[in-house]
Amino acid sequence: MTTDAVGLYIHIPFCRSKCRYCDFASYGGKTGADIDLYIDALASEIKGYKREERIRAKTVYLGGGTPSLLSPSQLLCILDALRESFDIEEGAEVTLEANPGTVSADTLAAYHALGVNRLSLGLQSIHENELKFLGRIHSYEDFLSSYTAAREVGFDNISVDLMYGIPEQTEASFEETLRSVIALSPEHLSVYGLILEEGTPFFDIKASLPLPDEDAEYRMYLLAIEMLGKAGYSHYEISNYAKAGYRAEHNSIYWKDGEYIGVGCAAYSYFEGERYGNPRSLEAYLRGDLRCEVEAVDRAAHRFEYAMLALRLKEGIDLGEYERLFGRSFTDGIEDRLDRFISMGLMTMAEGRLAFTDRGFYLSNSVMADIVR
Amino acid sequence: MTEKQKHIRNFSIIAHIDHGKSTLADRLLEATSTVATRDMEAQILDNMDLERERGITIKARAVKLNYRADNGEDYEFNLIDTPGHVDFGYEVSRSLQACEGALLVVDATQGVEAQTLANAYLAIDNDLEILPVINKIDLASANIDGTRAEIEDIIGIPAEDCPAVSAKVGLNIKDVLEKIVTDIPAPGGSPDAPLKALIFDSHYDSYLGVVVYVRIMDGRLRAGDRIRLMAKGSEFEVVEVGTLEPFGLAKAEELSAGEVGYLTASIKTVGDTRVGDTITTAEGGADEPLPGFRDVHPMVYSGIYPADGARYGDLREALEKLQLNDASLVFEPETSIALGFGFRCGFLGLLHMEIIEERLEREFNLDLITTAPSVIYNVKLRSGEMITIDNPSKFPSPDEIDTAYEPMMKAAIITPTDYVGGIMDLCQDRRGIFIDMKYLDTTRVELHYELPLNEIIYDFFDALKSRSKGYASLDYELKDYQPSKLVKLDFMLNGEQVDALSFIVFEDRAYGRARRIAEKLKENIPRQLFEIPIQAAIGSKIIARETVKAMRKDVLAKCYGGDITRKKKLLEKQKEGKKKMRKLGSVEVTPEAFMAVLRLDDDN
Repeated sequence: MTTDAVGLYIHIPFCRSKCRYCDFASYGGKTGADIDLYIDALASEIKGYKREERIRAKTVYLGGGTPSLLSPSQLLCILDALRESFDIEEGAEVTLEANPGTVSADTLAAYHALGVNRLSLGLQSIHENELKFLGRIHSYEDFLSSYTAAREVGFDNISVDLMYGIPEQTEASFEETLRSVIALSPEHLSVYGLILEEGTPFFDIKASLPLPDEDAEYRMYLLAIEMLGKAGYSHYEISNYAKAGYRAEHNSIYWKDGEYIGVGCAAYSYFEGERYGNPRSLEAYLRGDLRCEVEAVDRAAHRFEYAMLALRLKEGIDLGEYERLFGRSFTDGIEDRLDRFISMGLMTMAEGRLAFTDRGFYLSNSVMADIVR
Repeated sequence: MTEKQKHIRNFSIIAHIDHGKSTLADRLLEATSTVATRDMEAQILDNMDLERERGITIKARAVKLNYRADNGEDYEFNLIDTPGHVDFGYEVSRSLQACEGALLVVDATQGVEAQTLANAYLAIDNDLEILPVINKIDLASANIDGTRAEIEDIIGIPAEDCPAVSAKVGLNIKDVLEKIVTDIPAPGGSPDAPLKALIFDSHYDSYLGVVVYVRIMDGRLRAGDRIRLMAKGSEFEVVEVGTLEPFGLAKAEELSAGEVGYLTASIKTVGDTRVGDTITTAEGGADEPLPGFRDVHPMVYSGIYPADGARYGDLREALEKLQLNDASLVFEPETSIALGFGFRCGFLGLLHMEIIEERLEREFNLDLITTAPSVIYNVKLRSGEMITIDNPSKFPSPDEIDTAYEPMMKAAIITPTDYVGGIMDLCQDRRGIFIDMKYLDTTRVELHYELPLNEIIYDFFDALKSRSKGYASLDYELKDYQPSKLVKLDFMLNGEQVDALSFIVFEDRAYGRARRIAEKLKENIPRQLFEIPIQAAIGSKIIARETVKAMRKDVLAKCYGGDITRKKKLLEKQKEGKKKMRKLGSVEVTPEAFMAVLRLDDDN
């Protein structure tokens, strides 16, 4: 198979309490003992990947849930298990998602010492009312102290998550959030439009939510692009911005058709020609159920996914590479449509790449439904 | 009169819709042992599923019944079933002409209704002996005496000793059979006179060709006879004659004056055998045809398109098959920019149209898109030329028109007095011209209006029903064509005219309807990547506009490892949805949305 190193994803499905918009696999109110049990299960799953010649990994990503609920010793257990089974490259990006307010300076220092070299902090907004609406447990002050502490203990690669389209949010309040965060100068930002996912409390009450109207929301999206661009961040993926040299390496694997192995409940893998996922249910995972959805990625599926993911990137799809990989041209037979999208200002075609414009990103599902085959 | 004729009774059953005509026919079949009860499927005369479901008879059929009367003699009854709806009035009249008598079924819970009257008058016009039968007496709300009185007062025929039955439970059916023997005259005519046979129906059989249903008025008909269809002028050689038994055709030596039966003559299409035409022998035939033949013409037209363009061929085949048995269905290929290839179809009326559409969908498994029904207009051009318009797209531009004419109907509405006000408002609103109002009794009136057919096809019947809690009944026929201020209303999406949405409308109505349809378009067109202006226009004048705003947001904000499969499914679903879309110019519209816009409803 491929000789490329993989990305490793470890899902930590625990939170202090669950946010109202969240549809990720996470469980509130679990204790340290519960987490220990889970780590045992993780360790045995990880062991299953151990081979004569260990699989090489170029990134490690601890996501959740709230991975920062892990004690340093718990994190050590996980990392040890990973190192035992995988050949983790020297200088690999090791990211941990942290919730402001769940981490002390000591914990952060320990994480850093254990090898975590990138921190992803979920801020969402600097405004109390907006945070409350989202059901976040932290305040802006909590964030600031976590952020400052992280810097102090030596994190030089920090990503901050922001959100627009939050109930009660205005363009002015969002601008303020952006300005405050830009002033802190994190290396990376993820800026997501709030999506009301079915099955979340938000979805059930969406009619009564004081959401910004769609035009305002669109202007917030453009505002983020504009302000972050001016501050030196490149908008390299639909929702992601980075200073030069700080693109998220792990996440880029997803968009660039790379292989990854996910361990933990609800974690997904794309490895050796298959996509598969673990059960969402913590009980099932602890029982030892693994790989409940397995899908062989045939050529047609591969082609479809490749284009769908590449188009999420600002640099778009490399048409030459596409043709080399799949033996056919991406644009054949859809020239008219592409011309139309280009003339509508939704896409660009330059230097052998087809890519979305900022406006195009915002409508990318509709456009992709027309052109991705 | 021959001995044979003396023992024949030819009759129809006529009734308002749902008064129990078909059920009574079943009971007569059962009681004459023509059909064993165990073989009896309810209402065998209505042999199309659809007829059975709708409880109405679409095509006339006939059946022979054998009955031994109380006087000990054997009789041959020919029951000629008639369609029960206003669209098929002409067929009803031809069926009646083949009879000497008619059973007039009246629902004891409803009394006399518009079609009861219309059918009774038709029977009277055809010199038939009318034998009233009061039905549904098993129901608690049955009012037998009241119904008797109504029949006498309103229709003016004696009903004192008429049978009161329940066809449903089979009560007093014997009374009806005896009355047929005693009250309905035996058929006249001479077996030795030149042949005159009335065609009252026909159907296509894939082995026999067209089977022609006839009543022999004079003369005899045998296999091998060379016959001539007097109105059409075409000649055929008779292959087979026979009688119409409940479960099929029974070959016979000959049919003679007074008898009802069938003939086959290697006839290819039912269109060659027009209902009402007279058959005579090619040599030594009759000089004059029987009176009353009329070529029926479609009154309502609509474009029918397959939802899936690839099924155009299937649609054509299906229409051809239906036409084999329905000479009143006409169609020709039509192309719409919006809808692709389809057919312009002509129907006798709205019900006929609905029935054909339903049969196409049900029996041929087709998904259809149909354009708004349109009537036939006559237009006198400035050039002096007179043209006929069966398709809005052919309507000339305003400056070419000298005078436009639209079909005006004579409409009779019977309603309980409580609803007269609302119905008069409705008729007024639909440009009706009040003719008169007659009290049928203290609780019901008969209203006469002249109404444009254009208004009747625009959901008039439903509006009438809703304003009368379902009690009012309607009957109408063509009066004439009258000058009218007609305009063609066009719709444009994103600046491009959508031909399938055009329709012809009375000028004063154009604004309201334009606004409403523009709104409906706005509601039903899914947002797209660009803003879509909707405009309604008469000629080059825009009279209504709306805008479908551009789609704002359609993006999946997060797409990491676990989201990829879901995202892929989402996109695939979106792609599937797009495949079903119809392109109206540059605008994509779901078939459902298109139908929602075309569906006419009461916009008062």
